[in-house]
Amino acid sequence: MVCEERMTATTDTQGIEFSTPRRRAGRLPGFAYLTVAPTLILMVVIVALPLIYSLYLSFNSTNPITKRWIFVGLANYTKVFQSADFWWSLARTGYFSLLAVIGTTVFGTLFALVLNERFAGRGFLRSIVLLPWAMAPVSIGVLWSFVYAGNFGLLNGLLHDLGLGRYATAWFGDGFRALNLVALTQIWNQAPLTTLMLLSALQSMPANLHRAAVLDGAGPIKRFLAITLPWLKPTLLFSTIISTINAFMTFDIIWIMTRGGPGSATMTLSWLGYLQSFQFLKFGEGAAILYVLTILSLACAILYFFVLSPRRPKAAAAGTGEDTALEVVRARPAMVVMKPRIRRRIVSAATAKTLSRLFFRFSIVAIFVWSFLPVAALVFISLSPATDLIRTPPSIFPSTLTFENYRMVLMAEGTANVQAQRVPISLLNSFLIGSIVAVLNVGLGTFAGYGFARYAGNRFFSISLWALLLTRMVPALTLVLPFFVIFRSLGLIDTYPGMIIAYSTILMPLAAWMMKTAFETVPLSLERAALVDGCSRWTMFRKVLVPVVRPGIIAALIFCFLVSWNEFLFAMILTSTPRTQTIPVVIAGFLNQARFYEYGPLFAASVLAILPPVAVTFFFQRYLIQGALSGAVKG
Amino acid sequence: MASIKISGLSKRFGDVAVIKGLDLSIEDGEFISFLGPSGCGKSTLLYCIAGLEEINGGSIRFDGNEISDLGPRERNIALVFQDYALYPHMSVRDNIAFPLRQQKLDETTVAKQVAWAADVLGIEPLLDRLPAALSGGQRQRVAVGRAIVRNPSVLLMDEPLSNLDASLRVRMRTEIRKLQKELGITVIFVTHDQEEAMVLSDRIAVMNQGAVQQFAAPMEVYARPANRFVAGFIGSPQMNFLPAQICGGREGHVVGVRPHDLKPQPELAGDFTLKGELLLVEPAGPFQFLDVAVGDHIVRATCVDPAGLAPGDTVTLGAAREALRFFATDGGQCVNHQS
Repeated sequence: MVCEERMTATTDTQGIEFSTPRRRAGRLPGFAYLTVAPTLILMVVIVALPLIYSLYLSFNSTNPITKRWIFVGLANYTKVFQSADFWWSLARTGYFSLLAVIGTTVFGTLFALVLNERFAGRGFLRSIVLLPWAMAPVSIGVLWSFVYAGNFGLLNGLLHDLGLGRYATAWFGDGFRALNLVALTQIWNQAPLTTLMLLSALQSMPANLHRAAVLDGAGPIKRFLAITLPWLKPTLLFSTIISTINAFMTFDIIWIMTRGGPGSATMTLSWLGYLQSFQFLKFGEGAAILYVLTILSLACAILYFFVLSPRRPKAAAAGTGEDTALEVVRARPAMVVMKPRIRRRIVSAATAKTLSRLFFRFSIVAIFVWSFLPVAALVFISLSPATDLIRTPPSIFPSTLTFENYRMVLMAEGTANVQAQRVPISLLNSFLIGSIVAVLNVGLGTFAGYGFARYAGNRFFSISLWALLLTRMVPALTLVLPFFVIFRSLGLIDTYPGMIIAYSTILMPLAAWMMKTAFETVPLSLERAALVDGCSRWTMFRKVLVPVVRPGIIAALIFCFLVSWNEFLFAMILTSTPRTQTIPVVIAGFLNQARFYEYGPLFAASVLAILPPVAVTFFFQRYLIQGALSGAVKG
Repeated sequence: MASIKISGLSKRFGDVAVIKGLDLSIEDGEFISFLGPSGCGKSTLLYCIAGLEEINGGSIRFDGNEISDLGPRERNIALVFQDYALYPHMSVRDNIAFPLRQQKLDETTVAKQVAWAADVLGIEPLLDRLPAALSGGQRQRVAVGRAIVRNPSVLLMDEPLSNLDASLRVRMRTEIRKLQKELGITVIFVTHDQEEAMVLSDRIAVMNQGAVQQFAAPMEVYARPANRFVAGFIGSPQMNFLPAQICGGREGHVVGVRPHDLKPQPELAGDFTLKGELLLVEPAGPFQFLDVAVGDHIVRATCVDPAGLAPGDTVTLGAAREALRFFATDGGQCVNHQS
């Protein structure tokens, strides 16, 4: 007893600062709370309150002209549920998401399996594979719109070049086909994210597991099913949730590619919510639709979790083996003498090896073409003279290469194209806003990440961390609506502060989460050493921890900048003049204002918009990957 | 069960030759250890035998049949990995049954055979657990169970005990030896722990730089090392090496004497004596080790009772003539017969 008491006493004195939080809950150092307080308070102000406000909106009927608000209770929801439009959109969203999730998962898994093998140029191919995901969705929309464009599109051009001109068609002419093509674009954009997540899981897999399975006689397919797939299961669960939510929230590429058309063939829930809110200014109904979408995201995440998460294995195992085991025990175990097994081969070993090598080479080439060709095409179009875009018959080969389009957007004084003149200033806006939000949020996130990493066992910290993650399940549209209403009355529309606040809603949880992962790799003993060496907590944090996690900070900065650079929805709704418009908004603006033969500058601007992501993909790839793996936040 | 004959085996990784023309002949039912420092190619050689690495030249025969062109699945070998490589998502039962199910055996046979393996290794109570719920020693047993369950012709073990704590390692190695005797299986055991190799093996292949330095029974390797590398690698504490001139040997030779053969004695007498200053007395249980400075060399000797010896004293050490080993300075070959 005495001894025991003394033991506890010693651990207590040692653990005054660092003891496991569960045991000493409520007695954490004030510093712990101080680290996460700014992030949490700001999140409440800029995310929780607007969400509650939009929930309130969904119980009101607003008149855009008289600006009168009437509390109607659940009437908006009733109205929404009674409209056929809603159910059709829901069905379309379901179909679109199913297609996108299956495609994303299948392609993402295949890419990851190939990229996990060793071959010359693997690092380069990894960068290439990331391109479609790192690009701004607006640029992706522009690119694929032109691929499928009716008369002069790239696909039709290719068909003509191949002498298959008779198959050329207006690809978006058919509604169902348009929906499928948008889903394909979504897959093109999202598959790399799944690849990234799976690749890191594959690399953490012990190599001996596969060796053991080879020796146990399992062939490649069996090994994939029995060893690799179970190992990937938790990651697959996670990536499926992410891709489902991203599919639910798909907005940017629909805006650029089809705008819900033709007819209402690509009108998904998010598009319907956008239309109600910002075209028809029926904020109440819009909010109701968007809340339904939010709840759907949450429900889906929970459903996946229960369906796919590993069940308690004990119950499963007990059922299968019980009776046989009993019988065997009675029969006295004895070794069964087995004949050495002769493997039956359909083809000889050498042929099989050659075939599998050929197949592997082919998949490498296929992945390269899938990821790179469209991007290269975008660059080529931007270098083609504007007249090439409306040639008859269309062709994918430019008649000549010119920088004319770039001259028009970068030195725009002389040109008549209003939109082109906006490009330089919008690039500057994108750069400034991106830099400010990145520094701001990573600064806050560094503190919060430390708190969340170190005190993860404490209930307050774990719950608030989950709350932060939960904001990921909220479609940006649900947030942008209250922002629009609130900002209008506060005069924040079309201002830098407005944009910074809006982007912080996405970036703050992202930065905190990324920094949390970075801090988790720092051993606790480093902190203890610093404290023993006489540092105050603040000095320890500044002089020891921050230098150690610097790579994580850089990764978070780069990632936050990119997310902000690519963002379209907030920027479109919350800006109205070139003064604050970012590059995606200006690109989108081309589609409204430019005539078809003026699309040259549009492509030049799209290429400029993908330059920073492309540069990051090739030169700072590991930061990008770190962001993707720890972030789980960016779509 | 099978005999193994390796001849002229070579293996390169890129331009680096890891194994250079290696010959080895292993009898049916033998327990063989590959012993050597890390990077000597012992694990590579094991993987070549397993078929996990392709060989660049030479041949591997099981019972006279060339198998180096066969895939690992067709060689009927089993391998216990250093990290056990248990399938994390399968219960112990499924782990052990996995290789049997790959052979498309009927479930009754599988259950019987699993029960047999579990009985042999005493792991019946663990059958429904997941590997994560097992201790290190239990995982080790399961890994061995998965290896022996399908009655392989050769059982390969890649440092299987190195992840266990010291006392468990000693217990497990006894069990492994017993099991091998019981099953009469041919075992190749890779280790860098000489004690493990000595205790377990019928014969030890001491390896260095991709070549077998000596292949002989444990005591043979200890008592009659083929060269200076083997002499230095086997035995703890390490053999003392001194220029042979010190005891009247030939120039260009090195004399080696094990600390256990070198003892303090009253005066310069006998076949081999050294005089020096005692630096340190290290108690090691039954013995005390003495560190003695002889000229420029520090020599280690043993004594049972260090009474009367204090650091700083001058001591005289002596060994019997038979205990001395002479090695050529270049090449390190044992040249005892010449001196």
